[in-house]
Amino acid sequence: MEIGALYTAFVFTLIVIVTLFKGVRIVPQGSKWVIQRLGKYHSTLSPGLNFIIPYFDKVAYKVTTKDIVLDIPSQDVITMDNVVIIANAVAFINIVHPEKAVYGVENYIIAIQNLVQTSLRSIIGEMQLDDALSSRDTIKAKLKTSISDDISDWGITLKTVEIQDINPSPTMQKAMEEQAAAERQRRATVTRADGEKQAAILEAEGRLEASKRDAQAKIVLADASQQAIEKVTQAIKDQELPVMYLLGEKYIESIRAMATSANGKTIVLPADIPAAVRGIMGGVTK
Amino acid sequence: MVILWWYWLIFGMLLMLGELFIPSFTLFWFGLAALLLGAILYFLPDLSLPSQLICWTVGSIVFTALWFKYFKPTMIDRTKAGISREAVTGQTGIVVKPPQDDLRGIVRFALPLLGNDEWEFIATETCQVGDRVEVTDVSGNTLVVRRKP
Repeated sequence: MEIGALYTAFVFTLIVIVTLFKGVRIVPQGSKWVIQRLGKYHSTLSPGLNFIIPYFDKVAYKVTTKDIVLDIPSQDVITMDNVVIIANAVAFINIVHPEKAVYGVENYIIAIQNLVQTSLRSIIGEMQLDDALSSRDTIKAKLKTSISDDISDWGITLKTVEIQDINPSPTMQKAMEEQAAAERQRRATVTRADGEKQAAILEAEGRLEASKRDAQAKIVLADASQQAIEKVTQAIKDQELPVMYLLGEKYIESIRAMATSANGKTIVLPADIPAAVRGIMGGVTK
Repeated sequence: MVILWWYWLIFGMLLMLGELFIPSFTLFWFGLAALLLGAILYFLPDLSLPSQLICWTVGSIVFTALWFKYFKPTMIDRTKAGISREAVTGQTGIVVKPPQDDLRGIVRFALPLLGNDEWEFIATETCQVGDRVEVTDVSGNTLVVRRKP
């Protein structure tokens, strides 16, 4: 009898221990636990000490209520002008109603990733390539508005979504680079041709100016000769002797110059210099 | 087998130490009950073993029940960090743009809520610009508010 009572007391104690163990639940900060009573949703446990009915209640899901960083994988997106660009994003979500998140959708992470991807595609699909590359903020704002309504059913708040990369596809990038290179080449060619044209014009102008000055110089020279001849004529009038003298002097000087030159071998001096000078003068002194 | 009073004391202390390894806060009450039983046994050494076990069990249940009844309500949240719904509900903001027909209004908060100081809202009552509203729930990126008198 004593042994029977001991066993009964022991079993009773054991049952109480197990029951209390199953009944007390400590939920850590930053998470919430969804409780099902006999298979149906019953309540959501908040962080701290909680008590559930053992054997009937079951912790069905443990959900984090911290912000979740969702990496949205890279994908090809076609813009309005038929250019393929590669875009990826990162989203920050927060579970506000854990029960809606676990019962409303099979896997909220995949669901939201897909939503962001499809929305990103449709938003960029309505933009031209240049707009898509330069207006990230607009894309971000549109993305947030378009997604937030869809996820409200799942008790999830979209805190932010950021476009990480938005790049043209490799072939497009190559084409853009080639276009840029060609454009620069064109400008270089135009600049070079411009320079050559300028140089030719300046050269011609230089030649023109030089010719003008040459002509002027010729005129000035002719004028000077004319004046000199006139002056000589005036000075001579009809006196032959000074002219003869001057010519004879020049004649002798010339012959001296010829004699001192390196080529001079033999110098023949005319015997009758006045007659020679007169011969040079020709008809002048007749 | 004779159970001496200090057996229970040691058992109780072991249970309390076990609390360090098992994060449930249940063992502590079993330990406390064992300590109490040790004290009772010191004065009543003739208590039979089944009675001791039953005393211990009942003591544990009573302590656990007392804990939930009297101490749990005093456990206030020291931070709302990580529990966004509780952090948002009860906050008051000022209506910047009242809701019109099917369009949602915009409410602004002095301090940002969940990283944003302006939120779209829907309200059950009509609101004017400048009304103070209190957040009652969150639905996606839209707040559900009621006018604060």
